[in-house]
Amino acid sequence: MKKRLWQIFGPVVLAALIVLGLLLAPLPNQKLSMQRLHADAVSLSPTVLGGQRIKHQALAKNYVPFYGSSELARMDPFHPSVLAAKYHRAYQPLLLGDPGTQSLVHFVDEQTMMPQLHGKRAVFIVSMQWFTKQGQIPAAFDQYYSPLQLATWLLKAGRGEADRYAARRLLAMGAPAKSIVMRDALYRIAAGQRLTKPQRVGLQAELQALKNEDNLFSTLSISPRWHDIERGMRRLPATDDPAALSTLATQIGKARTTSNNLGIDNDFFNKRLKGKRLKQLAGSQRGFDYRVSPEYGDFQLLLQQFAKANMNVQFIIPPINQKWARYTGLSMPEYEEAVGKLKYQLAEQGFDKVLDLSQKGSQPYFMQDTIHLGWQGWLAVDHVVKPFLTTPQLAPHYQLNDYFYTKAWAQTKTVG
Amino acid sequence: MINLQPYADPKYFVLLLVALLPLMIGLYYGHRLRIYETIVSAAFITLMFTGAKWQQGVALIAYVVYQLLLVAGYARYRQTKNTTPVFVSVVALSILPLVIVKVTPALGPNQSLLGFLGISYLTFKAVQVLMELRDGTIKQLSLGMFLRFMLFMPVISSGPIDRYRRFAQDYEQVPTQSDYVAMLERAVWYLFLGFFYKFILGYVFGTLWLPRLAQAAMVHRGWLDLSPALGLYMYDYAMYLFFDFAGYSLFAVALSLVMGINTPMNFNRPFQAHNIKDFWNRWHMTLSFWFRDFIFMRVTFFIMKHKLIKNRIRISQVAYLINFLVMGFWHGVTWYYIVYGLFHAGAIIINDYWLRFKKKHRKQLPHNRWTEALAIFITFNVVCFSFLIFSGFLDTLWFK
Repeated sequence: MKKRLWQIFGPVVLAALIVLGLLLAPLPNQKLSMQRLHADAVSLSPTVLGGQRIKHQALAKNYVPFYGSSELARMDPFHPSVLAAKYHRAYQPLLLGDPGTQSLVHFVDEQTMMPQLHGKRAVFIVSMQWFTKQGQIPAAFDQYYSPLQLATWLLKAGRGEADRYAARRLLAMGAPAKSIVMRDALYRIAAGQRLTKPQRVGLQAELQALKNEDNLFSTLSISPRWHDIERGMRRLPATDDPAALSTLATQIGKARTTSNNLGIDNDFFNKRLKGKRLKQLAGSQRGFDYRVSPEYGDFQLLLQQFAKANMNVQFIIPPINQKWARYTGLSMPEYEEAVGKLKYQLAEQGFDKVLDLSQKGSQPYFMQDTIHLGWQGWLAVDHVVKPFLTTPQLAPHYQLNDYFYTKAWAQTKTVG
Repeated sequence: MINLQPYADPKYFVLLLVALLPLMIGLYYGHRLRIYETIVSAAFITLMFTGAKWQQGVALIAYVVYQLLLVAGYARYRQTKNTTPVFVSVVALSILPLVIVKVTPALGPNQSLLGFLGISYLTFKAVQVLMELRDGTIKQLSLGMFLRFMLFMPVISSGPIDRYRRFAQDYEQVPTQSDYVAMLERAVWYLFLGFFYKFILGYVFGTLWLPRLAQAAMVHRGWLDLSPALGLYMYDYAMYLFFDFAGYSLFAVALSLVMGINTPMNFNRPFQAHNIKDFWNRWHMTLSFWFRDFIFMRVTFFIMKHKLIKNRIRISQVAYLINFLVMGFWHGVTWYYIVYGLFHAGAIIINDYWLRFKKKHRKQLPHNRWTEALAIFITFNVVCFSFLIFSGFLDTLWFK
């Protein structure tokens, strides 16, 4: 009978051991091909955003993080990734973000990159649309946050205000509640306590398993977006000449916005707006107020993290398509006050590289659709980003202020 | 608070099997550790309804107490008397909570507070006990055993639907050592087959492909909004439905075996069915047998006894119609579930005509491996189409 039991359960035990071994053994980090990196850097996939391996290898080459959200997917020929690839720039963008990723997702998901980013540069496109009354939507957070990154952060979190604030916000997102170990750790950090020894051991085991999963599975699928980049490259002139690029941007923008008088890309207009939908959206942004939002505190988490790593970050504030803003009834004075508040938060703490495009929403072919940069807009970004990333820069000096985590700041409507 | 949904992830299996280990050792040596089993079952059922789901937990407790009172009362009454009005009212009272839960979402935006995960399956069990008390096939009802039967943990949320007498016999009789080891062997096989079905095939069909096909079918609309993508969606959904639910059922049977109970199987290669009748003997078997025994047969006898219809063929047709209509309503009060029920009733009635025709012309009709393949092919496509109705996707495509 004992023998039969072995015959039944032996293979099960063996299978369990193999799986455990595969997850907990320190696996070698195989090198990715250059082609693979090209595709992954523009994939906007949660696997890349939340993973470790691909970002690690990209940063070891000449990739520079471009943080953002939905505008990163507007891959027309003037998109930063197309320009950098076509003209063999010294930097190549590593695109981090997708619709729904806001400050808190970026804060969590950049954890494994921080050691590599020390003293380095980055570009950060911050959308005013993040700064809603609710801030980061938990469902979107759940889709993009990575347990691997969260475990990395938990193991180095301390008792300072920033970490306690982060823990409170993460608990409010609900997603980390799926792991009992992580949730208990978050409660301790939020309460200003250090993790216990068993918690650290548990987290380390979980982290190792997650890293191995990332190693084993992060390269299973390949993104088709590199084709968009190549298609864009074919349309660009052979030399990197600003005047020629600007002429082409106007020409392409004009050809692509023929279906409507809002200056919106034909595809976008036909698929998402045409007909009934457009009528429903008239006046739909009346009452939108980006001045009061928990996002200001979440954004401060990122600033704190950039400052701690002594990074030099170029911030970009994109505009809203003005015709669209007027059609949907968005209050421009309130929008401008929100931009002012954000710029104040940056300037007060020594983040002085801010490209404020918020007034350019009425320039022709600047926006590809409602709220997303395109053609001329991307070129305006390039005029600042290219010199920022290719010429020597002064070292930044930051003075952080924990006031920006407070509710009082989140609810402040005007500054100065 | 921790919340554990049955068979949701690998952790659940590890926790459950570790918790069941003492029970397994007990059964191996010929003892059923009843108190320990009760504690483990109660703990895992509680963990299904913690956190945001606590209201469902309260609803479950209230529901079980309610059914216990009904069944106990009827069992007592049945020892001395047996009248139809009392029986009918008790059955009506027994299904009342389920009816309320099913009708509420059709009337307004809210779900009924009486609902909880698994209410249908508990209702099937309770009604079955009432029916058998009426028939006199259950003579002695132990309330403790009734509770164990109702709350048998591996099957509580989605079946398979066991029968009281079969369950009680298994429970009272501890299997011999060699029988129990054979049960464990089956359990391991079912468990891993279930993993393959639910977590690999179900994932591919349901999580990877289904949303993409749905999107494609929404974008490329042809005549009546139909498209090739919709066709692919239909087959993909059928595969997803089978592998997800068959995987789930395999888990439930496997865990029952570990606990020394031979819960009946739910699926037997349904896509190899030769006709619709054959299909219902292979698909969600414990449900279709329940409907056969307690709806179809009862309706048939009722019509015959009261001589409502003379023609035997007509009787079975009416019985099929009622049977599948009830099944449709049970799935939910929406047009597509009801149409799904009517579609299957129609299919099985047509199938009966064909079978009678075939019997009459046995000499002229060929029968070989090609005709069998054709039969399987036709049945498969009819079934897949019925699942497209069932999926509710047509509702989204046409009316949303």
